[in-house]
Amino acid sequence: MWLSILGLILGVSLGLLTDIRIPPEYANYLSIAVLAALDTLFGGIRAHLQQVYDDKVFVSGFFFNILLAAGLAFLGVHLGVDLYLAAIFAFGVRLFQNIAVIRRIILSKWTEKKGLRESV
Amino acid sequence: MKKPKSRKQVKFSKSIVFSLVFLVLGFILAYSYSLSQAQESSSNFTANSQFEQEEQFREELIEQKERNKTLREEILAKQEQLQDYESSFSDGEEIFGEIASEAEELRRYIGLMPVEGEGLRVVLEDGEYGSQTVNPNDYIVHESHVFQVIHEMYISGAEAVAVNGQRIHANSTIVCTGPVIEVDGVQYPAPFTIEAIGKPEVLIASMELSGGVLDQLVNDNIVVTMDEGLVIQMPALLSES
Repeated sequence: MWLSILGLILGVSLGLLTDIRIPPEYANYLSIAVLAALDTLFGGIRAHLQQVYDDKVFVSGFFFNILLAAGLAFLGVHLGVDLYLAAIFAFGVRLFQNIAVIRRIILSKWTEKKGLRESV
Repeated sequence: MKKPKSRKQVKFSKSIVFSLVFLVLGFILAYSYSLSQAQESSSNFTANSQFEQEEQFREELIEQKERNKTLREEILAKQEQLQDYESSFSDGEEIFGEIASEAEELRRYIGLMPVEGEGLRVVLEDGEYGSQTVNPNDYIVHESHVFQVIHEMYISGAEAVAVNGQRIHANSTIVCTGPVIEVDGVQYPAPFTIEAIGKPEVLIASMELSGGVLDQLVNDNIVVTMDEGLVIQMPALLSES
């Protein structure tokens, strides 16, 4: 747990301190990668809450989704098709769904707890 | 979950994997954040900087214009001053020139400068030794004759007079010492050449007045030769001959 927080801090500081500037047209890919990463993260949390969590699925999904999203956007730019919109759409929808599921699960757990306490 | 050891190992590797994932996540988030921030700031910067530059240039332009104006005024003032100076210079130059020419004139008069000009040359020679005359004083040139001639010259407007090439000045002395005369301590024998710079016609007219100097000299048996219209050169008084 602490190691992962350390990794997060390290990653943030590394990202803030990097002086490498990529051209602005590649910033789109990065934003899609961010979206993919967030989606995978929330997907993982949901899976954990639903007790269907798997390490391999999560980790491979995390990296693969990032690469796929960036690659798709890249391909779209080069083909003249706005494929990154598809990626944004897919990941956005999934993100909202995942968050909604998480919310529901937490809510139901909370109400369960409350009911238990009241009954006691 | 079956074995404690393996569970620990699994947990450790899991945390490693998670830390890696979080590292990547944090990196991507932070990097995209900083990138977008930089983009925004750069776009802001360009817009702002353009505006600011325009403003700055305008201010500089105004400043330069004001400075130009003040400098122009200064130039005008300086030019006026310069004109004043120049006019005063020219006035002064005129005065200086007048003074200088006057000084030169005066120097010529008192014999400090060599002079040159038209004038009259009078040569006084001893008369012919006549048998009927006994006294040699009757036919030799005396200093009084020289004096007469010099005075006549000065009276008739001579500007400079010289005897045998020696300038005569206000304190000159001419002494008769026997057959020779001494002009300022320098002895000269006859014939005596008296040169005067002035208007030749006036000089010669004054010499030739009836009953004047020429008649008196001739009366004293002196041979007088007059050359008019010559350009006569006289040395300065200071140059010792």
